[in-house]
Amino acid sequence: MKDMSKSSAQLRRHKKIPPGQIVLLLILLAVTMITAVPILLVFTSAFSDEQTLARNGFSLLPEVWSLSGFNAVLRYGKQLFTSYGVTIFITVTGTVAGLLIMSMFAYSLTIRDFPLRGLFTLILLVPMLFSGGQLSMYVIYTSVYHMKDSLLLLILPICVQTMYVIILRTYIAGSIPEELMDSARIDGAGEYRTFFQIVFPLMKPALAAVGFMMATMYWNDWQNALLFIDSDRKKPLQLLLINIQKSIEALLSNRNIPPAALAAMQGRVPQYSATMATVVVVIGPIMIAYPFFQKYFIKGLMIGSVKG
Amino acid sequence: MKTLKKIWKHRAHVVMALPALVLLIVFDYVPMGGLILAFKKFDYRSGIWGSPWNGLENFRFLIASKSIFLNITKNTLMYYVIFTALGMFLEIVLAIALDQLVFKRAGKWMEAVLIIPVFISYTAVQFIVYAFLSSDTGMLNHLLGKSVRWYSNPAYWPAILTIVKMWNGTGYGAILYMSVLAGIDPQLYESAQIDGAGKWQQILHITLPSLVPMITVMLLLSVGGIMHSDTGLFYQVTRNSGALYETTQVIDAYILNSIFQNSNFGFTAAASFFQSVVGTVLILISNGIVRKLHPENALF
Repeated sequence: MKDMSKSSAQLRRHKKIPPGQIVLLLILLAVTMITAVPILLVFTSAFSDEQTLARNGFSLLPEVWSLSGFNAVLRYGKQLFTSYGVTIFITVTGTVAGLLIMSMFAYSLTIRDFPLRGLFTLILLVPMLFSGGQLSMYVIYTSVYHMKDSLLLLILPICVQTMYVIILRTYIAGSIPEELMDSARIDGAGEYRTFFQIVFPLMKPALAAVGFMMATMYWNDWQNALLFIDSDRKKPLQLLLINIQKSIEALLSNRNIPPAALAAMQGRVPQYSATMATVVVVIGPIMIAYPFFQKYFIKGLMIGSVKG
Repeated sequence: MKTLKKIWKHRAHVVMALPALVLLIVFDYVPMGGLILAFKKFDYRSGIWGSPWNGLENFRFLIASKSIFLNITKNTLMYYVIFTALGMFLEIVLAIALDQLVFKRAGKWMEAVLIIPVFISYTAVQFIVYAFLSSDTGMLNHLLGKSVRWYSNPAYWPAILTIVKMWNGTGYGAILYMSVLAGIDPQLYESAQIDGAGKWQQILHITLPSLVPMITVMLLLSVGGIMHSDTGLFYQVTRNSGALYETTQVIDAYILNSIFQNSNFGFTAAASFFQSVVGTVLILISNGIVRKLHPENALF
């Protein structure tokens, strides 16, 4: 709000603001608020009292604030910490490995006189146009590679993304001066040193952009976990979230429970504020990291959108 | 010999490309071979190679079970059209609106907020949607003062899913168009102003035409995914509820279900083959058309 009044004051000094601009601003503010409401709802209902919520329903301004939801989350205890650990492990390993592997690949695709450049680019692009689909991936990964219940399946299959390689390649080709690489080579640096000591450090803005997108992709991946992971100690957060929803549904749809018992349980089945508290725990880290990376990935997307 | 020598000279580059190539081949290319499942009577224990061939039997089965196959294909196409048309329209409107706004700092803030939803996984979005639509505790029924059972009537869902999708993706999608708008030469607008063109005329004659190449590229890319859907949206947000399948089940969600229920592999393999081939054929055709009309806008 403060920035806005400031910038409008600045502008007023130059020229009068047309009324159309005020209307536009109000409309955009309304759209932004409507977009933000569902996210706010997660946070407010996570901090509201379970019983009041069950009685009066979800609302943006809870009548009774409470931490009971988070207490209930802690009841998942060990599994929550295990899942957090698994998700962090997958996200960090996948993002670091992916950035390194994709950057090296992108670099080799920028070498002008590299005879295999065309072939490698083709290999990179085809998966964007044609894929085996979920079923064949599932069958190949489990019955040919025998990798069911392996954490590697949560990391490796999505580690190289065509779009991201293109962004990195465009960045190297467009923003890192070729003379810099040439002079390193003339000074006797091998290709590996040229890449790791000159090119890689200069790729920071592109790495931040792609890195954040990779990290959210790994953090949010539920499908591979649902398909491949069976054992509790390998369950990532997203799968835990799915399991929570399934167990609530099973409890509520079980007609064998007498209504009186169900009513007594309603307060204790972690249904409303507790699940929202879990959602906060799951999306929290992304929300915290987002502001730091925001300007990089807007830039990164813009680089990638320039047809390379 | 000469090329081999040339490649040897670049052995460092081959080594650097190798990890990515291996991952692509192992996890993307080999599963393409798995599409032969569509022509086999798959038995999990005998594996892909051990299972007997059965010609076009699976496809006959697919066509015979008209209702399911037609329904999931119809839903997939319907949502593709709605999401692409409405999504693109809203993204472009939002991008132009943010670009025209003179309060730049406020614009940056709003842009940042508008992108956030795309980073929330559908497993979490599912709980948010539930908070709005649950029949006894949901916000929507409270506001309307009614007790509509949203989760048991399929008629509501095309609208619900469209709203969720637009909430999720519009802010993010608008960035791409904004990057193009940021590159328009301001002198174009200035000289148009001198010539007496109003704001709307400037948008119509300068802004929109400059977006055409990007719109073409985005449309072409989307055609390749015409048979694919945002699985999380259809599988998680609907709570995979059987009561809603009529309007919500898409090919991808159907395949996911049949993997979990370990059933109907022949049918699913045929549907999967259809899905992969149709998408690729369509993108090749539409790229060919674009290349004829506007070669500079074609993908390849």
